[in-house]
Amino acid sequence: MKLSRFMEDAYQGTAPARRLKTQSKSLIFSLEDLADLVGSRPRREDVEQYVSEDRGQIEMLLSVPPARKHALLWGYLSALLAERSEGPLKLPGRDYAGLEMRRGWIVLEGAGSHLGEKMSGGRIIVQGSAGECLGQEMAGGGIIAAGCSDYAFRNMRAGFGLIRGDAGKFTGLGNRGGRIVVQGSCAERAGWLMHSGSLYVRGDAGEYLGLLMSGGRITVRGRAGRRAGWRKKGGMIAAAAFGPEAAEDVSKLQLV
Amino acid sequence: MGRRDLSVGGQRVNAPLYFSVANACLRNRAVLLYGGMGANKTTLVNLLGCSFLSLGLEEVEDLVISGHPEQTEEKIVGFLDPRQWAEPSPGPARVLWTGWARSKWKLINEINRFPGGKQNLFLEILQKRRISYAGQVLTPGDTCYFATMNPEFSSTYPVDQALLDRISACVPATQPDFLAGLLLAERERDVRELAEELPRFTAGEFEALPGLVAKKALKSQVELAILCLLRDFTLCERAPAYDKSQLSKAKPSLGLCSGCHYWNNPEAVCWQVDEGLSDRVRQDLRAFCRALAFLLDRDADLQVLRAVAPYVIWHRVTPLPSALDKPPYFGAGRLAYVADLVDRSINRTMNERAEMNRIYSRAMDGQMDAGRAIEELSLFDDPIARMDFIASLEQRVK
Repeated sequence: MKLSRFMEDAYQGTAPARRLKTQSKSLIFSLEDLADLVGSRPRREDVEQYVSEDRGQIEMLLSVPPARKHALLWGYLSALLAERSEGPLKLPGRDYAGLEMRRGWIVLEGAGSHLGEKMSGGRIIVQGSAGECLGQEMAGGGIIAAGCSDYAFRNMRAGFGLIRGDAGKFTGLGNRGGRIVVQGSCAERAGWLMHSGSLYVRGDAGEYLGLLMSGGRITVRGRAGRRAGWRKKGGMIAAAAFGPEAAEDVSKLQLV
Repeated sequence: MGRRDLSVGGQRVNAPLYFSVANACLRNRAVLLYGGMGANKTTLVNLLGCSFLSLGLEEVEDLVISGHPEQTEEKIVGFLDPRQWAEPSPGPARVLWTGWARSKWKLINEINRFPGGKQNLFLEILQKRRISYAGQVLTPGDTCYFATMNPEFSSTYPVDQALLDRISACVPATQPDFLAGLLLAERERDVRELAEELPRFTAGEFEALPGLVAKKALKSQVELAILCLLRDFTLCERAPAYDKSQLSKAKPSLGLCSGCHYWNNPEAVCWQVDEGLSDRVRQDLRAFCRALAFLLDRDADLQVLRAVAPYVIWHRVTPLPSALDKPPYFGAGRLAYVADLVDRSINRTMNERAEMNRIYSRAMDGQMDAGRAIEELSLFDDPIARMDFIASLEQRVK
């Protein structure tokens, strides 16, 4: 029998069905499964492609503490779930929570490092203190935390960050926009290489405040450490008091 | 009596019973009943033996060999006749074959209690359909082979993969359920009386059964689905010649498929099982589809294939542990896992693969340019299109 007759007999005149589908999403039960598909350093689009619209699947994936190599995946998933949630999403404090988040709310009791990294919308509220690199490369949205460690809001482009307590070293390093408010004090080199945006510190600031800054505005209501505005090329620093060797154009803040 | 665990279309029947009866209607196939103690595996085969061979239960029980570490080849197949050495002019060696060796109904009880070396004996018998001892060969003719097997207890041995491939179908036999227990409690007669009451086949009727089964024609759909099913399990993009049965140490479960295009795609079977399927599977699928259709008095259609195929395949393959361990299989539902794979493969063949199969067939029949067919087939993301169809058409173009 000719092969085409055999096929026609097998399909008995049925119309050709849809083309073959690949990359179905139903067999992703763990972050390992997802990592097999997208790798451990994926783009957000890759993760979105494989995760279904079903909230249950994302919740299941988020429920297990991720291995260190899957922290980015966990972060993307937390952002996707927050975006798909109607109310605030409560999550355990882990690294990369809210990674590249675009909208929605996340509430955490404490936080690991890289919280809200590259987020462009929505709000993240940390009831405790956040780790390093909080809001790094933020492009929108806002983060409120009780405190934070070093490198908070590094390379921030837009959005706002509010630290209700103290901030660590290098806060606002290389900022090109956005607003940062520290209600406590911040350690050394806040506003280092700042290009634009604003940094407001209610308490004291450490030494080398605004080091090499070229734009933006830094306001310290307490005392700035020594060498405030060291080698600055632009921007504005105002402090209620400042230590020795401050740049010439550092102005004294008149408190009312 | 017994759970109706086999669904063929709308009909629900007991799998151990129907597969055993189907095997009795075929020849040179082997059915393995797998289950714990007291699941009536041996009793079932013996009762069927009474009926099909028209023998008493004791006679059938004599045709059983049971596995234990001290079982020897002499006890199983036969031994040299000692009387020949007392004769004045001894001729060629004479072997006294056992009843089991001569019988056309062979039950190997508790096959996994035979040590590995003894299991090889059955491998030879099932493969060659002949029994050899001391240079003498016995050809018992067309035979019905049955075996039983317990789960892995302390006194059992792993069954050789090559031997398992010679087993046509493996059927789980479960303990009697509540209702069956009640019926058993009410029954006053013992199994011997039951055996006497069973209807008996004449020798002619028994011999005629394979011919009757062979009259059942397989539909083209079934033939096509079987072909695709085998290729689905066997094709692997990373294996030599795309043939998974060529793999030795590298296997899907050992990371072979990591990063592969088909990995984690539930529609693709290749990454979900370690082994490919041999051509014996095709023969077994065709034979048991026919036999079951004959027993149920229906067409040998896709419904029959869907019911039969998991039992023919599941003992021959090792599913990927990371997939099998997950719900709803929980590491234990190997048969259910394979049944899902089979279902997906058949559905895919009958639906999504229709267009590509037609393109390929037209190209092979010369109704379509092979180059254009390759171009069109390259748009189909399917292992069979990519590794079988395009490869064979490329040969044609060259």
